Amino acid sequence: MKPLRPTLRDSFRYVAFTLSSEEPVRTRDLQAEIFKAAKSLFGDVGVSKLGIKVVMFDGTKGLVRCHYRHVPDVQATLATIGKIENNRVRATVVGTSGTIKAAIEKYLQIDERIRRIISSYVTVPVSGKAVRMRGKEIDIIPEDREIVDRAGVQFIGITIDDNERLI
Amino acid sequence: MMPDYVDISVHAFPEGADTPKRLNLVARSLGFATIGVTTHSPYWSQFSDSSVISGIEIVAHSVRDLRKKIAFFSDTAPIISVHGGDERINRAACSDDRVDLLMHPERGKRGGLNQVTAKIAEKNGVALGLSFGYFWKTREIERSRALALQHQNVALCQKFGVPIVITSDAYSHFDLRAPRQLKALARFIPLEDKEATAALSSAPQNIIKRSTQKEKARV
Repeated sequence: MKPLRPTLRDSFRYVAFTLSSEEPVRTRDLQAEIFKAAKSLFGDVGVSKLGIKVVMFDGTKGLVRCHYRHVPDVQATLATIGKIENNRVRATVVGTSGTIKAAIEKYLQIDERIRRIISSYVTVPVSGKAVRMRGKEIDIIPEDREIVDRAGVQFIGITIDDNERLI
Repeated sequence: MMPDYVDISVHAFPEGADTPKRLNLVARSLGFATIGVTTHSPYWSQFSDSSVISGIEIVAHSVRDLRKKIAFFSDTAPIISVHGGDERINRAACSDDRVDLLMHPERGKRGGLNQVTAKIAEKNGVALGLSFGYFWKTREIERSRALALQHQNVALCQKFGVPIVITSDAYSHFDLRAPRQLKALARFIPLEDKEATAALSSAPQNIIKRSTQKEKARV
């Protein structure tokens, strides 16, 4: 079959995003969750118009393709994702571009702060075990789970400035 | 130039899971200029962190209780917001000019606001706080119901000139969203781009200005 002429093809935009999560997220699960979130927000007919597709995802950042008129809809869809398989996540849109190459060059050259696994007992601001560190951010598994259960997360999040002993 | 975005109602440790510093760090990376940490009154404790604005979200079970708590906290907390829901509480909050913000009045049985409450709120400078947490914490019927009620309240507030403030109502950094994503969601309320920008920047900044003025007057 003859391919469609470029003038007849749909025009797309590429939305670059970063993903913060408690546990590592698989591409398949993210893809399924994006479709589920879009379907919940726009319905089957709405999703068919978005032309949504996960182009790439490497665990912390990725690209979603969509129809050029529906960029805000995709930004909204990514904002409604709060959980993937009982794992809390936050997808943040970094920028939008017309080609994959430009999107990667412009928005996805983020120097990945490597997550260090640590293990030290802390008492400030809460008693528990500091388990990981990323830049200035430190995550603690608390002994008393009341606060984390209320917030629906696994870790208490602090920064280096909250507990200077951890440096 | 990008306006200074503010998320005026987030809940930090020990009520939420992240310390004010952590929330501020993440919020800044998302594009906010600053955040306002409003703690629900049962968890209220003074914290000294000059990098964020602190405030109280008063939870009251009766109008009398609300008035008592407003009188108590108006001297200690820079921002006074009220945990809305009950219609009597919503109305009492709107009629007190010491209150800066009425959060989620739609949590009651009906919308929680009517033309009378909206008029009083405008007179006393009380803003409507929209909690966008519904978008990622709930789905289906619960979310549709909340959005329908928010839609109704926004229309009322626009008609009577009540300021609208968009907040994430976050309990951890996973609940924070970038301003551009909040604006994309605001289209469903529906708020136009300009209105959404004002609800994320000038409206919360006015609340902060008002609280500074109040503090100066007290001194």
